[in-house]
Order: sequence, then structure tokens, then C-alpha cells
Amino acid sequence: MTGGAASAAHGLGQRGPVQAMPIVAMALVVLLFGVFLWVLHRSEREEETLTLIKDVLWVEQNLHFQLTSDEEKLQYLAESLGREDTTPVNYPVMARHIVTVNPAIQRVVRLDAQGRPMRSEPPVDDGPALDDAFGPSPRADAFLIARSSGRRAYSAPYRLGAADTAFEIVIPIFRGDQFAGALAGVLSIDALLTHHVPWWFAQRYQLEVLDPYGAVLGTKSRIAMPEPRRSHVVPFDPPGHGLTLVATLHQLSGNLGRNILIAAIFALTVSALWSLWAVRRHIARRIRAEEALRAEHAFRKAMEDSLTVGMRARDLDGRIIYVNPAFCRMVGWSAEELVGAGPIMPYWLPEDLAHTEEVFRAVLAGNAPANGFELRFRRANGERFDALIYEAPLIDAKGRHTGWMGSVLDITERKRAEELARQQQERLQQTARLITMGKMASTLAHELNQPLSAIASYCTGCLNRLQAGSIRPDELATALEKLSGQAKRAGQIIRRIHDFVRKSEPNVAPCCLSEMLEDCVALMEADARQQGVKLVLEVGNGLPAVMADRILLQQVVVNLMRNGIEAMAATRRDRRRLSVTVQAQDGAVLTRIQDRGCGISPENAEKLFSPFFTTKTEGMGMGLNICRSIIEHHQGRLWFEPAPDGGTVFLFSLPVLSAPSLTGAVVSQDERPQDV
Amino acid sequence: MCEPKLHIVDDDEAIRDAMGWLFQSRNVPVASWPSAEAFLADYDPAMAGCLLLDIRMEGMSGLELFDRLTAMGCRMPVLFLTGHGDVPIAVSALKKGARDFVEKPFNDNDLVDRVIEALAFDAGERARQAGQAGVAARLATLTQRERQVMGLVVAGKLNKVIADELGISMRTVEVHRAHVFEKMGVKTAVELARILAAVG
Repeated sequence: MTGGAASAAHGLGQRGPVQAMPIVAMALVVLLFGVFLWVLHRSEREEETLTLIKDVLWVEQNLHFQLTSDEEKLQYLAESLGREDTTPVNYPVMARHIVTVNPAIQRVVRLDAQGRPMRSEPPVDDGPALDDAFGPSPRADAFLIARSSGRRAYSAPYRLGAADTAFEIVIPIFRGDQFAGALAGVLSIDALLTHHVPWWFAQRYQLEVLDPYGAVLGTKSRIAMPEPRRSHVVPFDPPGHGLTLVATLHQLSGNLGRNILIAAIFALTVSALWSLWAVRRHIARRIRAEEALRAEHAFRKAMEDSLTVGMRARDLDGRIIYVNPAFCRMVGWSAEELVGAGPIMPYWLPEDLAHTEEVFRAVLAGNAPANGFELRFRRANGERFDALIYEAPLIDAKGRHTGWMGSVLDITERKRAEELARQQQERLQQTARLITMGKMASTLAHELNQPLSAIASYCTGCLNRLQAGSIRPDELATALEKLSGQAKRAGQIIRRIHDFVRKSEPNVAPCCLSEMLEDCVALMEADARQQGVKLVLEVGNGLPAVMADRILLQQVVVNLMRNGIEAMAATRRDRRRLSVTVQAQDGAVLTRIQDRGCGISPENAEKLFSPFFTTKTEGMGMGLNICRSIIEHHQGRLWFEPAPDGGTVFLFSLPVLSAPSLTGAVVSQDERPQDV
Repeated sequence: MCEPKLHIVDDDEAIRDAMGWLFQSRNVPVASWPSAEAFLADYDPAMAGCLLLDIRMEGMSGLELFDRLTAMGCRMPVLFLTGHGDVPIAVSALKKGARDFVEKPFNDNDLVDRVIEALAFDAGERARQAGQAGVAARLATLTQRERQVMGLVVAGKLNKVIADELGISMRTVEVHRAHVFEKMGVKTAVELARILAAVG
């Protein structure tokens, strides 16, 4: 598990920068946005400032133009006053007209040569601003300047009423060269601003007129400014006197769009951060899930690797998609070599392909036996082994059937043990049979010994007396009678043996050879597979029945088949083949049992059927002899020939359905063929 | 005392009859029993001669009968008749003290010869046993002191030494010695020693 932890830590270490990258990128984006906004803001402000300055200059120029225009009108009036000695009759009309036409001019005041107001148009009291009581009044100053300079002069501003501030243009009036007073135009700053600053300017800026001390003399748009904003100051000259025009930028409505943009960016940033956090959480969850999965996988793998049962998964086409280490060990091929292998797997027996493929098809068709089935496989080194296989459908996570999972058990040892037990059992039975036979023979010998001993004794006794010459004929007759009686007794014992043997007469019935041979092949199937021998049964068409003792014939065939299988022990494994063919021929049924063994040497061939001759270390030499007796008692014939491909073929022919007279058969139960 | 004869025990009547015929042809007296049980019923320690036992019999086997007789102290020689395959059994019987075994079917006169030998052997044994019985009877007549003196005499000791060992006078030793020689029917100490050695 420590390896898993290490790899997990390594994984996390790798994940660090990966996880940090979106965060860094987000931070950079936010930062760049900030910088961008700042730069934008700055350039905007610069633009604004520029615009502000341009606008202020324009307004100043405009005001200047207005003042010049007003000045010219007043100049014109003053000139018209100068041309006449007295105040012309139409002066009030002209003055009133000027006041009416120029909204900035509140009134026009005619001053005499001493600067005293003579008349005002409209006639309004000048008010305290023009009194001398508090020092020289702004008008008086301007009057003095105008008189001395002979040119128009602007007065310092003064309060005009409660809220208004005004200044005056004083234009000297010369009659000829003589100073004849002056004409003063009172201009309200408020009126000036109101009428001569356009609406769009007021919308963007707050325009104020300040005196040198900073007091507000007049203003256009009186919106309260919450905080100091950008402004631009230009001297207001005329009228001069240190007046300034101050334009202050309003909060522009254009900022709303930018604010929305910023808000949107902010919102987007927040949502991006949120999604980033969500992604992080998701990743953390995934990592946890991954770790759990890895741990689970490690656990499964450890479990799988420790299995001794071979596991093999195949897809629906039978291609191997997975094998576990136990299976690889079993067959000796690596997982890389096996995975992807299709039908005709490397571990199938080349000599038994047809059968294996048949089983394979059955599995794919879903017809695998539920309690497993047995097959022989081969390992990479050519060794054969018996496998017990259980197949189960492979269902994926979505419940689809995707293939077949097979567990494979190597049961070679078990089979070998079973086979050994079977062979031992067989040998035990043979031994038991032999013992029985031995006992019977011993009993018979003892039985026969008795009369034979008696006969010998009578005989010797008679001879002794004859030699001694002391015997009477009647004595001799008695002894000879007794002797003959014992000879009869011996004869009866022999007859009893014969009777005993005759009790087990063959059970003769019509018999279908093909069925009988099928039984024999089935019986020998296990032995043949054990020896790697392929059994082939060929039954000719329209086979007639024969009269035979099925059990006896079966013993003959089994014995001949066993001989054939054993004869091929030294034959190459893929050549081992035992074929049993049966066909009708010339009124008889001919059965051939052909092996590919070592054949029979000519010196053995002569003795093969003689009793007690055997080529086997464990044989008794009775099998073939008895086989031949059985076949002959069925009125048939048993012989052998060399087979065309090296081995031997044993043949026996039986006559077609004509009841054989088997009354003389001397084949007893105990003498049935066991071996050769 | 019974006459020594051949005692045949065999369950086969024909065999018994044939054997009787055979042995009588050579003048060997024969008595026969059809089974071991029958023989045991008639058994008498005074019986003399030899036994011919069939190993395989109905009821008690020949070997069993032999064991019983040995246990009862019967010293008659025993010959076994064996069938085929009984050889190992017969050999073990021989080791237990049976005299001989004969395999069936047998060479008849050879068998008769062996039986005659066994009868002679038995007769000799009986004679020897009878002699031994006489010595034992004479020993029984000796007194305690005479036995002591005899033991020392047989050991080859002089009268003087015997007198010293037994704490009696030489004269008394001589008297006892004379009595021992007289009672045992011997003339010399060497003769006495030989008789005693034969008895064991």
C-alpha cells in the first residue's frame, strides 16, 4: 500500500501547478483588467481635461465676445450722446432697447462729468454698491479710469441685490474733446452666465465666476458638488479685476456604461472565481474518488494475483480480453501473448482441435454446462494438462452482456490420482481374480490328489505282495476293485470341473455390432485421452446384425483396443490414432482395429496366440488366446496383419445372423480376457 | 503296554484303506482314525510307534492335533502328509519337531521306509527313556547325606577332602560312598558320573 500512497503523493505534486495555473491566469486577467481600466480612465481623464480646457476657453471667448458686443452697443450709445449737447430725446428708448435686447445688461446709467448718476434706464436705485460711504465705489473707480484714459473701463464686481453680483462697463462720453460724463452698463454676472453659456455646457460643467478671494460671484447650474472634481480656471478678462472663470466637470452620465462594464467584469470575475473554486472542489472530489478507485484496484489486483484459479475473460467473439497470472502460469504463455488471441488459442491441443472448437462454440452460444466441463490443454512447453472450466457471462456496469468469464482449474494431478486409483482398483480386481483362480486350482489339485494317492498306495501294496509271493487272488481282486473305484472318483472330479465350467454358457442374442463398438469406444475414451490417442470409429452402412454374446464380444474388442493403445506408447503423440472400422463383407461382418504402434515382430507373430505367451511385463498371456477362442466359438475368425502405416491391424469376422452353436464353449467368467 | 504301530489319521476313507493295504504289504502294523478328534478320544500315553497325519482334514487339522499331542507330552514321531501348496506349513511343522513330511502323491515304498525308520527311532527312544527311569528310581533311594557325598565324589574329590567339607570322619565318608555305589549299581566313580550325565 506504501507504493500506492507514494504514487498518489506524486500525482498530487503534479497536480499542484495544474491547479494553480487557472488561479494565476485569473489573477493576471483581473490585474490586466485593472490596468486596462486605469489606463482607460487616465486617457479618458486626459481627454476630459483637454475637452474641459477647450470648453472653458470657448466659453470665456464667448463671454468675451458678448461683453465686447455689449460694449460696442454701449459705445455706440455713448457716441450718440457725445454728438449732442444735451441728452437726446430718444436716449431713453435707445437705452431701454439695449437693456431689452441684451439680457446681460441690467440697466444703463448716465453719469455726469463728476460721475454722479444722472438717470438710469430702467430707473432703479443703484443701491449701496455705488455709494461712496464705504470708500470708493467700484463704479467710481471705473469712472475715474474711464475719464482719465478716455476709454471704456470695467468696474470691480459688486453685490447687486441679495443673490446677484454685477459689474459695470463705464464708457466715457466726449463732446468734441471735452469729457462730458460717462455711460455705465450694469451687467449681472448671473444673467451673463444664464444667457450666454449654452445648455450643453451647463450639463457637463459647473461654471462659476470667482473673485480674487475665491468667493463665488455667480454660477451656472447650482448642483451641489459632493467632492472636489476636476476643474479649470481661466482669468475672466474683461472685466478683469482678478475675476476668474472656473469650470468644474460634472459626473458624466457616460460613466454609467463604464460602471456597468466594471460591474459586469467584477461579476464575471466573481463568477469565474466561484467556478474555479467549484472546479477545485470537483477536482478534489475526483482525486479522492481516484484514490479510492486505485486502492480498490490494488486490492482487487492483489486478490486476483494471489488466486490459484486461472481466470480468463473473453469477448462475445471469443477473443481473450483478460487473463490473470494464475492462468498464465498454468498455460505458460504471457498475458501479452494471450490477450487478443482469437479462436484457435495457442493452448488448444492441435490433435483435438475439432472437439475443443465445438466446446468453444457451445460456450459462446451460452450452452456451457453450469457445473463445469473438462478439456485437455497444452502448456507452452508442450506439456498436456486437464482443465476443469466453469464459464459465466460477463456483464458490464450498464448490465450489458459483453463476453464470458471462465475460471480454469488444473486438475491434472487429480485426474492422475483418479487414474492411478482406477488402475490400482483394476489390478486389485485382477489379483483377486487370480487368487480365486489359484484357490480353485489348489482345491482341485487337492481333490485329485486324494484318489491318485489312494490308487498309488493300492498299486504299490499289490506289487509288494506280488513280489513277496504272499498274495491270494481274492485279496488282489479286492484291492484292484478299490483301485478302480478311486480311478472313477478321479474321473468324477474332472467331470465336476467340466460341469462347473459349463454352467456359464454365453448368452447369445442378435447383436448390433455398431452399437456394441460405440460402447467400447466410449469405455476406452478416458484411457485413450490419457495416452493422447485419438479414437476413430467408422461404421459402414447397412450393417447386418450378428448372433453373439454381447458381453464377450465387448471384452474382445476392449482387449484389442487396449492392446492397440498400449502398442502406441512409443509413437509420436500427434500420430497416435486408433481406428475401429466395421463393415459387411461376403456374408460376414468384418471388424478392424488398427493402431500405429510398433507392429509385431515375425518371431512374436508365430507365438502370439499361444497360451501364456505375452510381450507385457504384467501380462499373463491369456488375453489374445481367449479372444480367439471367443471369436471361434462365435464361428468367426480372429487374425492380424501388419497395418499399412506401421502398426498392426487386428481383424475379426463374424457370420451374419446365423445362430452359432455355442454349447461347447469353455470360456468361463474367470477366464475372460483381461490382458495379453 | 501297547504294541508299537503306525497310527494313521486321515479323513479320507479311501486313503486310510489304501495305506492300510500298502503298509500291511510290508508287515507294518497299522491303526487308523477318521479324524483328529477320534484319535484324541482314543489317545493313551502308553501308545507306541509313530503318527502319519493328514494336514488338511475336516474339523481339527493335522497340525493342530500335533500341537495338542506335543502339549500333552506325546513323544511319538509324527509324519505329515501334505497336499499341493502346503509345503511352507509342513516346514514350519518340521521346525516345531515333526519328524518328516511327505508330499502327495508320494512314492509309496519310500514312505513305508520312512515309517519303519520312525518306528525304530521310537523304539530306541523308549528304551533310552526306560533306562533313565531306572537311574531316577535308584537316585530316589539315596539319603540326604549319601546325595551330598555322591555329588562331591562325582566332582572328583578325595575322601579326605569330602570329610573336611562335610565335617564328618573319613570312615563315615567311606561307608556312605560304599552305600552310594551299591545303590546305584556301579563299581567306580567314573561309571557313576556317566550314569548321572545320561540322566542330565
